[in-house]
Amino acid sequence: MQAIRREAVRLENVWITYSGAGKPAIKDINLSIPLGVVALIKGPNGAGKTTLIETCLGLLKPVKGNAYILGVNTKDKRIIEVRRKCSYVPQDFMKPPYEHYTAKKVIEMGLSSSRVITDSLPDYFQYELEYYAKELNMLGLLEKPIGILSGGQQQKVFIIRALIRRPKLLFLDEPFSSLDKESREKVIELVVNYVRKHKDSSAIIVSHSFNKVEEYADIVVAMNDGVITDVRFQGR
Amino acid sequence: MLLIVPLLGAILSGFICGMLGYYVQRYGVTTLSFTIAHSALAGAAISLVLGLNTTLFTLFFAIISALLIGYLTSKSLIRRELICMGLFSLFNALAILMLYMSSTNVLSTVQLSTILWGSVLAITYEKIVAIAAIATIFLIYAVIFKPQIDAILFDQKLAEAEGVNVKLHSTILLLFVGSTIAIILRITGGFLVFSLLYNPIASAILLSKRANIQQLISPILGSSAALAGFLTSFMLNLPIGASIALLSAFILLISYISRTTLDHILSQRSIQVRE
Repeated sequence: MQAIRREAVRLENVWITYSGAGKPAIKDINLSIPLGVVALIKGPNGAGKTTLIETCLGLLKPVKGNAYILGVNTKDKRIIEVRRKCSYVPQDFMKPPYEHYTAKKVIEMGLSSSRVITDSLPDYFQYELEYYAKELNMLGLLEKPIGILSGGQQQKVFIIRALIRRPKLLFLDEPFSSLDKESREKVIELVVNYVRKHKDSSAIIVSHSFNKVEEYADIVVAMNDGVITDVRFQGR
Repeated sequence: MLLIVPLLGAILSGFICGMLGYYVQRYGVTTLSFTIAHSALAGAAISLVLGLNTTLFTLFFAIISALLIGYLTSKSLIRRELICMGLFSLFNALAILMLYMSSTNVLSTVQLSTILWGSVLAITYEKIVAIAAIATIFLIYAVIFKPQIDAILFDQKLAEAEGVNVKLHSTILLLFVGSTIAIILRITGGFLVFSLLYNPIASAILLSKRANIQQLISPILGSSAALAGFLTSFMLNLPIGASIALLSAFILLISYISRTTLDHILSQRSIQVRE
């Protein structure tokens, strides 16, 4: 039991099939990612990387096999509680120009999973908001509606939202796709520092284009055509 | 004085439907609410044939349907639109079967025409209180759970991934929709209740792209359509449901024309500026 608790994610013979799809998106996946690591999932388009992340979060339920996150089966009702300890930066994050919520409000929403209107924001919120916003060059944009921000700026908003939740598990799906080189390096630095500082947390990053992540990753999982083709543990 | 109760009832019905319509559209549960509306019609038909209290039984049936639809769509492996369409035909069949099985010539009765086409006489003081109560409870709910509701309105999938109980909040919304439809069904009629639920928000989307403006104007447009429909029905002695549906469709048409005209003018201006 103790071993399960120390695991961030465990997938046992997991198969995922989308409704109406002829073939499974991921097949017979077995994977264990412990807490305290940065894991990179890489592979070409259509390899099943996003499906894998969504399966870990319980957004997709296995048609066969079991997926566990922080020791809880994703089919269990407790998955909602477990997700509150996780953060997610989705691949398809872009909001239309008329989306009226400000960048700050969007970040604040990250802390809303169990909040009601009378609950105040945690004490650390303002400090960390300013810290991350400064690091990512977003300080002057926090009061702007998210819809008018560029793709890269919007992506940074979602990354700040993910980090400010102080998650045990950080799922980042192509978090560098809209960022310039400098911002990419800053983001990976922030994520790695977060995991190193919070030793019982992990980051699982999906990326197929930013090779530098591999330098920081403790585990590199390669995927192709819905299966894991290689798992490499990098000594650190 | 006699007019005040139905007038107020019509305005309140339009307001609550316009308000709920905004959330229904943003939550992406349009098909689900459409199915619940038909379940309410089936409930009303069953109550008519069995001689039960129409409003109470319709309310009961709509609530059970909302819970059932919420459960089925969260569990099933097929697309929820397909489940809804299956249930939609089931509820319609139930409604028609109940009417057919009736031993009396029910099609000619006032009660049935009230359920199908709506009636000004169905707007009672009790119904106004019930509609106002639902609207108030919904507003209190929306204020208390604003952080979570905002997260869902902004990005449902992300909210779910972060531990917001999206299914619970969607089911709560469907319960409010079901209860509202059950109460106002006899005002607008079972086949036309959607005009108040969907046309105001559709018009609001055409008039403004900003969600917070849509949220504000959708109830206003709903109330306006209901008020205009009520007055038209009263003055021309027409069925109130059809009058409201026509007026709300007219507002939708005007909104569409305004949007396309505005878009055309703006595109022409931008071309002139570039030249």
